Amino acid sequence: MNVVTQLVVILGTIGVVMVTVLLHVAYLTYFERKVLGWMQDRMGPMEVGYHGLLQPIADGLKLFMKEDIIPSGANKIIFSLAPILSLIPALIGFAVIPWGDGQLTIPLPWIGDVTFRPFVTDLNIGILYLLALSSVGAYGILLGGWASNSKYSLLGGLRSAAQVISYELALGMSLVGVLLLAGSLSLVKIAQAQAGGFWHWYAFALPFPQIVALALYGIAAVAETNRLPFDLPEAESELVAGFFTEYSGMRFAFFFLAEYANMILVSCIAAIVFLGGWHAPFPFLDFVPGIVWFLLKVYVFLFFFYWIRATLPRLRYDQLMTFGWKVMIPLVLANILVTSVAAYFWMN
Amino acid sequence: MSLSAALNKVFFGEIVKGLGLTFRHMFEKAVTQQYPHTKPRLPDGYRGIMSLLKYDDGTERCVGCALCEIACPSGVIKVVSAEEPGRPLNRFAETYTFDVTRCVFCGFCVDACPVDALAMTKEYEWASENKRTLFLDKEQLLAIGDRNFPNRGKKPAYLGSIEGDWYVERVKAKSYPEDRETA
Repeated sequence: MNVVTQLVVILGTIGVVMVTVLLHVAYLTYFERKVLGWMQDRMGPMEVGYHGLLQPIADGLKLFMKEDIIPSGANKIIFSLAPILSLIPALIGFAVIPWGDGQLTIPLPWIGDVTFRPFVTDLNIGILYLLALSSVGAYGILLGGWASNSKYSLLGGLRSAAQVISYELALGMSLVGVLLLAGSLSLVKIAQAQAGGFWHWYAFALPFPQIVALALYGIAAVAETNRLPFDLPEAESELVAGFFTEYSGMRFAFFFLAEYANMILVSCIAAIVFLGGWHAPFPFLDFVPGIVWFLLKVYVFLFFFYWIRATLPRLRYDQLMTFGWKVMIPLVLANILVTSVAAYFWMN
Repeated sequence: MSLSAALNKVFFGEIVKGLGLTFRHMFEKAVTQQYPHTKPRLPDGYRGIMSLLKYDDGTERCVGCALCEIACPSGVIKVVSAEEPGRPLNRFAETYTFDVTRCVFCGFCVDACPVDALAMTKEYEWASENKRTLFLDKEQLLAIGDRNFPNRGKKPAYLGSIEGDWYVERVKAKSYPEDRETA
């Protein structure tokens, strides 16, 4: 493959991944409203299209048409920059997410063999890259809240900063156990190490099942994406809409997209790191393509996000902090300790 | 703390219970009524827009007494009474206007009417972009009454008939009705 073909293939892969992610984001909002509706004995969107299936498109069009307002007294540059700073880290995280295994080589005339892979790139520091990006995403929220010249936005931004710092530690450290067992930071390598049935997945695998880490990761991920019951940065009943109170139109849509893209991203990480990525739960189910299993696992996690939202009320701020520092972090540290001891004896 | 309470706390027992509840509700029938597609069943005695009624021979019931105007707490009814041409004792509402925009749908006008010329219908879909369409006159009110109450009441014999007029003449002559059987 020469450089030009390689570039075309990479750009094509990026395009496919982006379209897939954005489509998922659009329909995540639809299914969130549907699932929440069902759980509250309602119907959810029903009017636009069959059972409201075109609702996300209608919403998107509406957001395009909306007036773009920059409040007076706002810092215009940072106000415009913040949504982009929030959306881009959420989207470029998908560069290292492997959607499946293997590669597809097609011999083309004149051009030669063209190889397609089910991921944009296999970074050898994949998880580190994702954790770094999730912290950068918090800058968008913080700056957006600060630049809006509004007390609600400012409070939302401050809460977001505090929350992200508290829960990022737990989020990162809950993955450390798996990293110890896998011996790699590359998401592709971690997923490949879990082949052959669900008892090889790190959530259930010997020497020390990471099921506790998975639960802690799930809680930290909900907090990290500012979802209920940890949605203090955008607490409607206290802060209007939190950090994006002053945003409208496409800028608001960017924050919205970023939130849902982040949801998909943390679900993807959970599926790859703890639940074997694209691997089937039983070896005899291997004939089903890997991407089906991968998406299935991601959807289960996303459903869990909705489920928790429909069930739990918002935490108080001090409860959030107490839970983060006094429960989550000691538990992840204990998990790392036990895992490393177990891994040491297992490997010797 | 007992062991079971401790375990309950460690495994988020209460939260799991709540999750089970919401999951169960996911499969329950929605209570939503898709309003413009399915209309609600209105209870008896529902008070929608007010209407004017007619007798079975197509004449108006209203005698123009304006008691409804007096009874109306928000003052949205305006009656101008007039004599029936050629029959000076029979009065009727020359104009009858009704402002829906300020009506509170209390139904006091219906209670006040001595000849049952008014009735509350079950019509409620009167939302409009033009307020002027909600300022109704007598013809519109009669039309609402016609389409909501197709079975009109029978007109009493003493009203608008020769016998009735004869009866009234006798009352005028004697100032007191003696023979009630002819009424």
